[in-house]
Amino acid sequence: MPPKRKAAAQAAPAPSKAGRTSALSTPGPATPRSLDSSMMSEADDDFDEDVSEAQKQREDGLGVEAEQFVQVFDLSSKRFQGKNEKRTDSVTSFFKNGERDFHYLPLKPDHQRRPLYIEPTQGLIFLERWSPRGKQATDFLVTIAEPVSRPKYIHEYKMTAHSLYAAVSVGLTAKDILTSLDGLLKTEVPQSIRSFIEEYTMRFGKVKLVLKGNKFYIESVDEKMLARLLNDEIIGPLRVHTSGDGEGLTVTTAPKMGGLVIPGTQNAAGVHQANLKAGGAEPAANEGELYATLNEEDDDDKEAVHAFEIPDHAVETVQKRCLELGMPILEEYDFRNDDQNANLEIDLRPNTQIRPYQEQSLSKMFGNGRAKSGIIVLPCGAGKTLVGITAACTIKKGVIVLCTSSMSVVQWRQEFLKWSNINPDDIAIFTAESKNKFSGNTGIIVTTYSMVTNSRERSHDSKKMMDFLRGREWGLMLLDEVHVVPAEVFRRVISSIKSHSKLGLTATLLREDDKISHLNFLIGPKLFEANWMELSQQGHIAKVQCAEVWCPMPTEFYDEYLRANSHMKRTLYAMNPSKFQACQYLINYHEARGDKIIVFSDELYSLKQYALKLNKVYIYGGTGQAERMQVLQNFQHNPNVNTLFLSKIGDTSLDLPEATVLIQISSHFGSRRQEAQRLGRILRAKRRNDEGFNAFFYSLVSKDTQEMYYSAKRQTFLVDQGYAFKVITQLANLDKTPDLAFATAKERRELLQRTLVDNEKGGEEDVENDDLFGKPVRRAGGRRGGGVRRTAGTLGELSGGQDMAYIEQNKGANKTLKKQAKAQQNTFFKKIAREKERVRTGK
Amino acid sequence: MSVQSYQLSDYLEKLPGTTFRKLYQQPSTAFAIFRRMLPPLAKVFVRAMLYMPGPFPLAQIDLWVKPEAKLHRERALSVLRSLHIITITPAGKDRPQEVHLTTNFAKSFRMVLEGNGDHNSFGVPSTVPVDPTVTVTFLDRYARKKWEDILHYVVNSVEGGGHGSGSGPKASVKELLVNGHLVERNPNGVGIAITQAGFTFLLQEANAQVWTLLLLWLEAVDHRPAAADTKASESIDMLAFLFTLAFTELGQAYDTQALPESRRAMLPALIDFGLLYIPRDTRQYFPTRLATTLTSSASALRSVSAGFAAATADATHDATSIGTAASDNTKGSVFIETNFRIYCYTQSPLQIAVLALFTNMKVRLPGLVTGRLKRESVRRAFNYGITADQIIAYLVAHAHEHMVRTAAAQGTPVLPSTVVDQIRLWQLETERMAHAPGFLFKEFDSFEEYDGMARYAEEIGVLQWRNDKNGTFFVTKVEQLRDYLKSRKK
Amino acid sequence: MPRVIRGTLITCEPAIKSIIMHINAENNNEIVIEDLDDTHLLIKESKIYDLKRLLDLRLKETLKVEAPLDDSD
Repeated sequence: MPPKRKAAAQAAPAPSKAGRTSALSTPGPATPRSLDSSMMSEADDDFDEDVSEAQKQREDGLGVEAEQFVQVFDLSSKRFQGKNEKRTDSVTSFFKNGERDFHYLPLKPDHQRRPLYIEPTQGLIFLERWSPRGKQATDFLVTIAEPVSRPKYIHEYKMTAHSLYAAVSVGLTAKDILTSLDGLLKTEVPQSIRSFIEEYTMRFGKVKLVLKGNKFYIESVDEKMLARLLNDEIIGPLRVHTSGDGEGLTVTTAPKMGGLVIPGTQNAAGVHQANLKAGGAEPAANEGELYATLNEEDDDDKEAVHAFEIPDHAVETVQKRCLELGMPILEEYDFRNDDQNANLEIDLRPNTQIRPYQEQSLSKMFGNGRAKSGIIVLPCGAGKTLVGITAACTIKKGVIVLCTSSMSVVQWRQEFLKWSNINPDDIAIFTAESKNKFSGNTGIIVTTYSMVTNSRERSHDSKKMMDFLRGREWGLMLLDEVHVVPAEVFRRVISSIKSHSKLGLTATLLREDDKISHLNFLIGPKLFEANWMELSQQGHIAKVQCAEVWCPMPTEFYDEYLRANSHMKRTLYAMNPSKFQACQYLINYHEARGDKIIVFSDELYSLKQYALKLNKVYIYGGTGQAERMQVLQNFQHNPNVNTLFLSKIGDTSLDLPEATVLIQISSHFGSRRQEAQRLGRILRAKRRNDEGFNAFFYSLVSKDTQEMYYSAKRQTFLVDQGYAFKVITQLANLDKTPDLAFATAKERRELLQRTLVDNEKGGEEDVENDDLFGKPVRRAGGRRGGGVRRTAGTLGELSGGQDMAYIEQNKGANKTLKKQAKAQQNTFFKKIAREKERVRTGK
Repeated sequence: MSVQSYQLSDYLEKLPGTTFRKLYQQPSTAFAIFRRMLPPLAKVFVRAMLYMPGPFPLAQIDLWVKPEAKLHRERALSVLRSLHIITITPAGKDRPQEVHLTTNFAKSFRMVLEGNGDHNSFGVPSTVPVDPTVTVTFLDRYARKKWEDILHYVVNSVEGGGHGSGSGPKASVKELLVNGHLVERNPNGVGIAITQAGFTFLLQEANAQVWTLLLLWLEAVDHRPAAADTKASESIDMLAFLFTLAFTELGQAYDTQALPESRRAMLPALIDFGLLYIPRDTRQYFPTRLATTLTSSASALRSVSAGFAAATADATHDATSIGTAASDNTKGSVFIETNFRIYCYTQSPLQIAVLALFTNMKVRLPGLVTGRLKRESVRRAFNYGITADQIIAYLVAHAHEHMVRTAAAQGTPVLPSTVVDQIRLWQLETERMAHAPGFLFKEFDSFEEYDGMARYAEEIGVLQWRNDKNGTFFVTKVEQLRDYLKSRKK
Repeated sequence: MPRVIRGTLITCEPAIKSIIMHINAENNNEIVIEDLDDTHLLIKESKIYDLKRLLDLRLKETLKVEAPLDDSD
């Protein structure tokens, strides 16, 4: 972890520690806490470094090992790639100097009826989506491989260590995978792929960690495997010998899905039907034919399971050691046989129906009747929360929910109350403002990552609360927005709070710093990843038209741009008057159509300048809670407030289904995740199922600046999901916009002068408190692939006073709202305010 | 922007009238030009006038044509005149304009229609027994191999990719391609590179490709150091022989001995091009499909590729090798996605090499190659002189039938519009700065002087830019303006 | 009598003009003869190829600030 507060004080990151920590995923640079004191205060602060050096070294070590492990298990490694009789010709050299030329592989005679190709060295799979068997093959691929690109006709998947890990975790064997693959492939399964699959499935998922009767067991169907572990110098001595089992292993029968019904699914609806014989139920009604068959097969042989016990404190050691041995442990929770932990009275409300893809994702989690830990990836707006709630309703034990901000803590609780019949007293919130416990002997706690990892400056109440959380055994840990949380934070959360199963939720399982792969081992494999385009075609998320608008820089701006340092460059391309005009034009156009518009700007200076000049409301990290609520409420309900300017605090978790248009004027370098998250803000548009409805996503880019380059990089993820960005080089009749801003050269020059002066003295404070985990940091030495740099040095200083004065006299639209709102306050916010008051007085 | 590759009409248009008179002495030439070069309406005019006793009033022609087809009429007459098939008398004061068919053309054309005369201009069949193995299938495969070698040489000049098959075209053909600027020798002397004309060449239909090469050949003969008059007659005779070949029959053996010496001298080159096949130690030549379809009209052109496709299908029973020559695909095979990924169902090294001109190739599987359009890869193509429009045209022409059908059903363009836009934008990126050498005029004594001169510069078409506020303008040429200034001073 | 100056007329967007002026400044002002307006410049005929090369280079720098994107393969 970077020494955040020190950095803030010194206006530059402390170099001594930065060198070492930069090898890990770390949140961004200096983050002063003064800006945000109300709602986001303690809860949203950075994770502190109140952790022993020893602990840190352990964490670092685990990170390195995981990385080494991943490399050893790379398909392209020599172990898998035997010597092939290659045939070459005049064009062979075009394919990576012949390395990727496999044209000599024989095709099966009926290859035209088969939809798949596989590339033998990378495990890349090419799927003819348009083939009659395309759908069937898709169901299979989603289970065994990771989607790479899913546009219209040909999809690419990649078989990786993690994807096979996931396949194994839902109960597939090497034989299952190879048989299905062979049935779909145009060629024979290449030997390299065959050995890869065989070796992996042999290692993966064969060993499970089970918490049973509050004791941890290492479990496997393969006795030899356990014997090997027991002979290991590290694991062997850790075994707990209980009386009665002697030297032998505990033997039970493998669990089946039989009888388990995920609430809200079609199975649940027909639960009384006779076809649910014990041991023979299919995992989910809408599962692909093939996948279902595989599971049936799996159900046929009843296997004996062997296990030995290990003490609680040894769990991490054993997990680590198993990783080293190439046998990562899979975690499963046999919640139906857990009679130690009290059952929670919770079920989905009778009228709650979950969607097919939500059901599909949950069936991966509960495939064999136990709860498997893992990650479910659904686009924003596709109902991740409901998936989490349904999982909680399935397990029916104590649940702890971890969110990224206290804003989403409130939302999560509301959602629980909306979709399930949980007693409001059984679901409590643990934030800076509220530290309640549930009344009964079990229940749900919703909190933030930082609340449970930040141990410094913890109030007495918080300490008590933490002891409560630590002292309990949770049935399910729900990890919201897992993509933003650094690995070491997870380690800390996971090691301090004991849970039987973990479910990570996210829309974009990608990070510029490439640390995602570790989540697979910390939380569990990716269980499911939805197809954005498909969901949009089915009307679950809104259809979106994406456009990149090119805004030329006027000469005087561009002259400055060429001279400026990197921070000023950023300010200048955000303040480009052509961009301003384009923004104004688009706002006018869409407001006239009756749209609600969100404008995103990472650059706080431009955010305020734009909002004030155009007289629109805005929210950034420094906006107080009451004002935030007021602004949001007006944006949602007031027909005169149709445009909202948001800093990056609005990137995630903010739920504004009224919004139908998104304009991006400044963004975080080349962050593909931010682009996807922002798009997510309009995917749940209320009007999405209106005939011919389209949401709009505009990215305004200053021509001939670095922004062009970043913009292309940012779009890559969405483009691979099938989105297409239309480049607009000129907006029609832009010059006819009434009251067009900066229309004269004089105004433009003034804008430039003001921008330069305002930003000269250290610049507008550009760092915010909310999206703390989201700032990718390049590794020291600038290794390939990151593509993102933060110029921390220039950001540390706070802005001078003259800027604040400027804002004061220009409070603009926000201020107007405040006046209007005085009289009529929403009851919900009143309640929050009352609660806050209660907490304060209670102290 | 796009450089049109050299076409037969361009070549013919440059020939003087005397040459045409000579050309039309051969009936097959007259017929060939009639068949291949004339628009439908022009054919109607010729047929109508062929047996008319005397000249024909031009005004009369207007009566045959609907008023709204005036443009067609003009074009037809213009083509007929440029090919010296008709002459039109100049407009006189009292005499109406008249149209004549030129004598030699009319005579030869009538001869063709009537089938009389002993001109041998459709070739003399061989009377000796024929080798039974020389079948139409054999000839098709033979010609295809020859032609693909040539195309391959052009394509593989990219990045010296072709270090392989050894059975490339003859050195003389390579020389022709270099001299015709379809490929260029690299400045460093190592290898050759495709040119823009070369890329256009690859995108043409087979028939147009053959003509391009043949015309380069004729031009080369014209430029040979020799007495001017013998050269001219030599290339005219060569052209006439090509027209003769166009009327020979596929699968038929013809007698080499019946050819005059000059035409016999052409045979080796025609073999190198794949237009003729001559079995060893015989006095027979077999024209291939490349020769017999030389003057076919557009619809018949497809028979070239159709014939090739048939030839390959029963030869290899490998369905994926339909992708033959770049221009010979009867079936589209390329998918292009909104994420700029390209998937092409092909085994053909030739088609792969063409794709590689502007695509970053990724993976090659049996019957499928994958790649990606990248800024760098497309810019590389621009550096070869390939244009955005050419790339787009290629992708449209080769789009997979499933993609074409989907687009048709949804009423959308075949290629994703964002990809098309992007390719164009990448080209614009390479044209950020226009430049023109010339002269800047400034510091005029009065606005009137400035304005007058700028107007004059505009009139004579040399003005590039003017700025009335500063009283300056820029011209590409200065001579006439100097004279203008002098005349003004007097 | 007007003055006549021999040279090459450059037509480009304002941003490109800015870059050219920068290049000119870095080359002892040896390229540009006269700044005509936002989109036009007169330069020495002999410098056009130098300028083209320098501009290409500069545009590449302007756009590519980091290592090139890793290709997804």
